[in-house]
Amino acid sequence: MLDLSPPVIETIALNWPETSAGGVLGDGRSASATDRPSSLEELCEIVARRVGEGHALYPQGGATALDYGGIPRRPGVAIDLRGLARVVDYPAADMTITIEAGMTLAALQKTLGEQGQRLTLEAPLADRATLGGIFATNASGPRRFGLGRPRDQIIGIRYVDGEGRAIKGGGRVVKNVAGYDLPKLLTGSMGTLGIIAELTLKVRPKPEASALAWVRFRRLADAAQALDRLNTSGTRPVALELLNAPTARKVGGGAGLPVEEWVLVVGFEDNAASVAWQLDRLTLELGRTDLVFLKDNDSAPLWSALVDSQADEDAPLTFAANLKPSAALVFLGSIDAARWAIQTHAGNGIVRGHFQDEANFEEIAPEVDRLRAEAVRLGGSLTLPRCPTGWKDRLKVWGNPRADWAIAEKVKKALDPRGVLNPGRFVGVI
Amino acid sequence: MPATTTLPTRLASELSSIVGPENLLAHRDERLVYECDGFVIEKNVPDLVVFPTSTEQVVGVVKACGRAGVPFVPRGAGTSLAGGTLAVGGGVMICLTRMKRILEVNARDRYAVVEPGVVNVWLTRALAGSGFHYAPDPSSQGACTIGGNVATNSGGPHTLKYGVTVNHVLGVELVLPDGSVVQAGGPEEDHPGYDLTGLIVGHEGTFGIVTKVTVDLTRDPEAGRTFLGVFETVEAATEAVSGIIAAGIVPAALEMLDNPMIRAVEAAFRFGFPTEAGAVLIIETDGLDAGLEREAQSIASIVRSNGGSVAKAITWRTRKEPEYMAIWKARKSAFGAIGRLSPTFCTQDGVVPRTKLPHILRFITAVGERHDIRIANVFHAGDGNIHPILLFDERDPDQVRRVLEASHEILEECINVGGSVTGEHGIGVEKMSFMPRLFSPADLAAMVALRTAFNPAGLCSPDKMIPGGAGCIERKSPGHKASA
Repeated sequence: MLDLSPPVIETIALNWPETSAGGVLGDGRSASATDRPSSLEELCEIVARRVGEGHALYPQGGATALDYGGIPRRPGVAIDLRGLARVVDYPAADMTITIEAGMTLAALQKTLGEQGQRLTLEAPLADRATLGGIFATNASGPRRFGLGRPRDQIIGIRYVDGEGRAIKGGGRVVKNVAGYDLPKLLTGSMGTLGIIAELTLKVRPKPEASALAWVRFRRLADAAQALDRLNTSGTRPVALELLNAPTARKVGGGAGLPVEEWVLVVGFEDNAASVAWQLDRLTLELGRTDLVFLKDNDSAPLWSALVDSQADEDAPLTFAANLKPSAALVFLGSIDAARWAIQTHAGNGIVRGHFQDEANFEEIAPEVDRLRAEAVRLGGSLTLPRCPTGWKDRLKVWGNPRADWAIAEKVKKALDPRGVLNPGRFVGVI
Repeated sequence: MPATTTLPTRLASELSSIVGPENLLAHRDERLVYECDGFVIEKNVPDLVVFPTSTEQVVGVVKACGRAGVPFVPRGAGTSLAGGTLAVGGGVMICLTRMKRILEVNARDRYAVVEPGVVNVWLTRALAGSGFHYAPDPSSQGACTIGGNVATNSGGPHTLKYGVTVNHVLGVELVLPDGSVVQAGGPEEDHPGYDLTGLIVGHEGTFGIVTKVTVDLTRDPEAGRTFLGVFETVEAATEAVSGIIAAGIVPAALEMLDNPMIRAVEAAFRFGFPTEAGAVLIIETDGLDAGLEREAQSIASIVRSNGGSVAKAITWRTRKEPEYMAIWKARKSAFGAIGRLSPTFCTQDGVVPRTKLPHILRFITAVGERHDIRIANVFHAGDGNIHPILLFDERDPDQVRRVLEASHEILEECINVGGSVTGEHGIGVEKMSFMPRLFSPADLAAMVALRTAFNPAGLCSPDKMIPGGAGCIERKSPGHKASA
């Protein structure tokens, strides 16, 4: 019989530090200290020691989303994982790679690129964003439509729990059903169940060809009709991004792309013959002669811009609504397109809006309430990936409570019974 | 040894009033068929079998069992190959096969909602002509249920390109052992909160009873090519697989049959497989027609450069074409064909890094010789998921012992080369003893803690999958052995 009870450690009440000399936790909270482990063993040792001292633990990667989620609830230390950035095992012929979690996405893609492979996952600020952070926050990009979400790429994980124990789930082979799927559970858990230390991921050959088609619409209804049509298209897009004019200007401005009220960006990746055929076919299906195509190297800057625009660092507030794809198009009709820069993963029903004005709480709060009510009415939720700290409690960054949060809290208690991992960051009382 | 529960007599009448007398089996001769699933080495007859027809009835059944302190175990079509549905220690078996409605199909938003007893292939049939399909297609898809697929996170021959069950499940309705109902996920992606759906898929019935499943729908490929590559040796066929992957091609399927398996399939189906070949490789690519021709040429040249020949090359537009179906019938019926060779067989489901396939196959041959057990192999070469089929006569205790030893050695070797003991069949009762080899005490403690969060009294699927923890009846093996 295994001993499940954590060792009893007297909890010491700590105060918030008065300066940020020890580092930052996000949302204006300072860290008591920042620890920088350079190995899994060191990470385990630090966690055990810091928890023994009474600290909460706030894992960090590239600090690209430090203010994401609820406000840190109690004093603690930041744990900077960037010292864990090694490739553990890369059997390219098996199309898998095991890496430490502090490696950046850009560094990983470079390693994979040398073997003609890639991870089919995107995240803003790839030269800073770490894989641990990307998986903890469930980040993704336009290619998720055709190539999957983080949960589809992960096959193994090693994390450190609140007792300083390294815990493994999954494995290093692409097919494996031994044990519960801890890799999926940790993905998107916002660092509240364990500190991700190592990941095993599925990788793919790089496609031979890549292209983006830029399609303009004056009316939302026309864009919606085109998307309905493309749902059963002869082509197989890997990305379907619907942008309003402010977002289209931002991502397409550099390339001098023409902008109208709405722009649909359709992405294709496959071998060259297939991509060329799909561009012809798209033209035919949409019955348009004014499509702009960006191919191969010429498409790369727009692909990147479409990923980075998801995290608009100038906007005071950003919402994300998750809906059925058809409902997302209805939802778009309820947004004031002049005040919000909108980007929609139209194939997945994810709508992001970045507020474009000075933020004025009295004005924005009812607007968020209204949009949330509409998202809920359509069967989805509305969260706030970006929100001024002082507004977070009132605006409920994770949206209205969902029925499954009760079991989520039981899961949290099971894996982090003392609540030392990222307290306050995630849904409900987690 | 069998720990048979004596059921309170009140429970049978209470359950009968919940599900109706026509949905309950109490007589032993009726229950006998439920003594095992596709894993026949261990058996135990459940004390009662119920067939609820709604979520409410499932709730009623588990609450009644909870009050009576009687264990219960869910079952779909009983195709599990690892004893996942074995009623360890008796109790109530909850058969979901009468919850078999397809509740919703939404092609625009690419999802379907089904009850757990829907047979995998029914959904595919219901979607015919829509331009969409449900991607996971385990070899038993004509019989296995989607609820069972969710419980074991089933795979199948097309997982290399399309992923396994968890990659296609968007949400589940789960009745917890205390009778409360959890809605995890749904047709919308990225609901705020933990990915409980991702955790529940593959739970092998240890968290509760899944009563509804929301799955995503995948666009049909426009066309495909299926090749039958013939090789003198398994090694040469494996080299060809490596060559295909190295060329940047991700086939929809890469399935290999070794010589004993080829002979069995040929004897059963007369498909025209060359019975002298060391290995045949079914290579399938799919996608847009425009992109397939060049891939086809690459594949043919890779097969030839590894000493193989292309015995058949089929160009298809749908997976319904007779030539296409013939190849896959041969592959998917491989286990059935074995019935002609041996009274009983036991199959293993180990996984190795794909590049270790030649090693593990040589190892399997040696193990078979050492234990004097015939072993045929059919497997998913693209993901390194092996299925050695060990042939024996369950009436001979010595053969049973040798088969178990041989299986053990094969799975140990899978672990030694960095793989796993199960790619798609699950741990069940069969492979529980391997869990401490794959996972540390701390890993297992985390898994037990998770199970306890869902299933605190341990009444739901006791003694399955994760060794140790609350509600565990000490035992070495469940029920009686087939040889007894």
